Amino acid sequence: MQTSLTDAALWHRIHFGFTITYHYLFPQLTMGLAWFLVYWKWRALRTGDEKYNRAARFWARIFGLNFAVGVVTGIPMEFQFGTNWAGFSKYSGAVIGQTLAMEGMFAFFLESAFIGAFIWGEKRLGQQGHFLAAVGVATGSWLSGFFILVTNAFMQHPIGYTAAADGTLALANVGAFLLNPWALVQFAHNQCAALVTGAFAITAMGAFYTLRGLHSEQARVYLNTGTLVGLVASLLVAFPTGDSQAKMVGRYQPVTLASMEGLFHGTRLADVTVIGQPNISQQHLENPIPLPGALSFLAYGTFQSYVRGLDEFSRNDWPDNIELIYYAFHIMITLGTIFILIMAWANWKRWRGRLESSTGLLWILMLAFPFPYIANSLGWMTAELGRQPWLVYGLFRTDSGYSQVVSAGDTIFTLIGFVGLYFVLGLLFLYLTGREIHKGPDAPYPLAKRQEVAV
Amino acid sequence: MITLWYGILGFMLTTYVVLDGRNFGAGILHWMVARTQAERRQVIAAIGPLWSWHEVWLVGTGGVMLMAFPRLMSASFSGCYLALFLILWCVLLRGISIEVGGHLSDRLWQEFWDAVFVFSNALLAVLFGAALGNIARGVPLTLQGTFYLPFFTNFGIRGNVGLLDWYTVPMALFCVLILTAHGATYLTMKTEGAVHERSVSLARRLWLAAIPAFVLITLLTWLVRPQLLHGMAIRPVSWLTLIISAASIYALATGLRHRRERLALLGSSFLLFGLLMTGAAALYPVMLFSTTDNSLQFTAVDCAAPASSLAIAVAWWIPAVILAFAYVCVIQRHYSGKVSVSKDNQEFY
Repeated sequence: MQTSLTDAALWHRIHFGFTITYHYLFPQLTMGLAWFLVYWKWRALRTGDEKYNRAARFWARIFGLNFAVGVVTGIPMEFQFGTNWAGFSKYSGAVIGQTLAMEGMFAFFLESAFIGAFIWGEKRLGQQGHFLAAVGVATGSWLSGFFILVTNAFMQHPIGYTAAADGTLALANVGAFLLNPWALVQFAHNQCAALVTGAFAITAMGAFYTLRGLHSEQARVYLNTGTLVGLVASLLVAFPTGDSQAKMVGRYQPVTLASMEGLFHGTRLADVTVIGQPNISQQHLENPIPLPGALSFLAYGTFQSYVRGLDEFSRNDWPDNIELIYYAFHIMITLGTIFILIMAWANWKRWRGRLESSTGLLWILMLAFPFPYIANSLGWMTAELGRQPWLVYGLFRTDSGYSQVVSAGDTIFTLIGFVGLYFVLGLLFLYLTGREIHKGPDAPYPLAKRQEVAV
Repeated sequence: MITLWYGILGFMLTTYVVLDGRNFGAGILHWMVARTQAERRQVIAAIGPLWSWHEVWLVGTGGVMLMAFPRLMSASFSGCYLALFLILWCVLLRGISIEVGGHLSDRLWQEFWDAVFVFSNALLAVLFGAALGNIARGVPLTLQGTFYLPFFTNFGIRGNVGLLDWYTVPMALFCVLILTAHGATYLTMKTEGAVHERSVSLARRLWLAAIPAFVLITLLTWLVRPQLLHGMAIRPVSWLTLIISAASIYALATGLRHRRERLALLGSSFLLFGLLMTGAAALYPVMLFSTTDNSLQFTAVDCAAPASSLAIAVAWWIPAVILAFAYVCVIQRHYSGKVSVSKDNQEFY
């Protein structure tokens, strides 16, 4: 798809891309934190140790802030299918509408019924009830992720549909649609990545409090749980989930795989480049540092496997921003590798009982928490830019999907509105989260608040 | 099957309006019923921990509309582009204003977010009211099956219309009045003390004012879209919903007179439900009237998804909606009873 700055299609894409990227900063942490909260509530029930309840209470407040921003930024996402992508909605609404409606009906009702009670209602619910509320919220948030990933998987690898008489799509096989192999692999990969975000956030908080010499008992809980889950999740992100995801791309979207690796010419013994800059006009990588044969092996299982290059596909079917896909994919992989190394190091120190005295490592752990957000966002950029120029892979092109009646001017107007609103929302979120961190997990709860209200 | 989904869509949207409508109403009355900072926290606490569950009815309605009537969703959402984003921004600000208030102890910023709360709720009531007016009046559909609705054109109701005109503006105001009365009725049930007393007197006055307004809006609707009254007369379902509405008026009046607040809220909820469902039954089978040429209007059959999709969706929708109500029954038990100023013990709800 050829784009220019006056093209409505481009602005619709930026509109969706901006709002979804911003939105996903919040659910990735809530999905990552949710099972930590369930775990701590469970430990507290089992052992009666109040430190786990304190940990759950503190992180529930952080969770609540993320959840609220996730909800308010998530609602516009669904409606944008109708407002900005009318062509796409009309074409595939009968299929993708199923999972979007299921998300509301199964996941959001569950989450929203229990979230208020979970965050503010510990005393009303009692300990058992509070634990169950945590399970309800965690299940709801992961179900919601599942339905969204099934929706995305249909766009990446459409199955289970038939074409209706008027050319639009109808759902034929709901089992095939929901259990799309692409969806299962992508869900596993994505949820592990969300756990990485959660684990790094928790570890960073533990490192911060330890370096500050504050809340040492709580800090130890965060460091112990965070680094263990962090290592397991970082490993699972790479293997088997990331590996299977790459094989899936190689099998169903070979032109995307070629773009991710900047492979312009098909070959056996295809390389993975550790670093290098794709030059599209001359069709080669500049300054490459290759791992010979690695791509053949990773994508198809043997070094002798033939990997198709970009030159074997019509330019019309090339993703329209190969440079961005290439960098997004490479930075994601590099960060993923670094996460494994950092977490392996931290677990080694923890096993030796020296984590809390390793100042250098604690600094690294504290400063590392933004990077899983970057890696998650880049992973989604790889998936979504890699899907181009298609909205539904092989069936429906992106430039036939946007709303014809909405001009670029309207789109830019609402985009500016979102940028402004989200900027303010981001400041507010950071301020409130900062306050919670400053108050810390040992703040009397909820007594302080009661006095403020009574004033 | 298409009729069933038409009914489900109507049911979900109506449920949303009934549930979130009382939050709009309570929000609009926020400054009138609550004078002190503690009373304002009390009103927010009355809206309670389930406001996002109420909002999910809107999200669910959007999903179901996309699934069951993709053509309606794509035409109407892109056609009302700017109005829809205004709604989304208000929903966003309203959500933040509710949640942030509980985290801030600073007087100045609580007042700021209270103001955001009032204005976003008021604007939402106006916009949903105007949307209802637009459904009754119709939109300027073209031969391509699309339309684009500016905020206003010449305030006329035929041809190249805008979102606001001499019919949709009174309709929007009427909806604001009804939702405010509904919200006041809710607050009478959910609060005690000074907020309760103010809500009682407001609820009585607002519902009285609603009677002449209702007569007026019915007359206007008859002028603008006589088919609707005709549809109501010939369709047995609308007789049923009219009976529900009449019974609700009786319950509402009795409840307000004898201070039986639960009965009053039940009455006002079912009154809204009955009236909106009557409207949906009268509209059927049309989903979108045309102001330009009657042959261009969208009927349910025109917009519906293929039969296989609809059949699959019925199978999961029914258990899902039962589960949705089950969760709330579980939670509601812990939040029953009135919210007072001093009993407001854990954070704000």
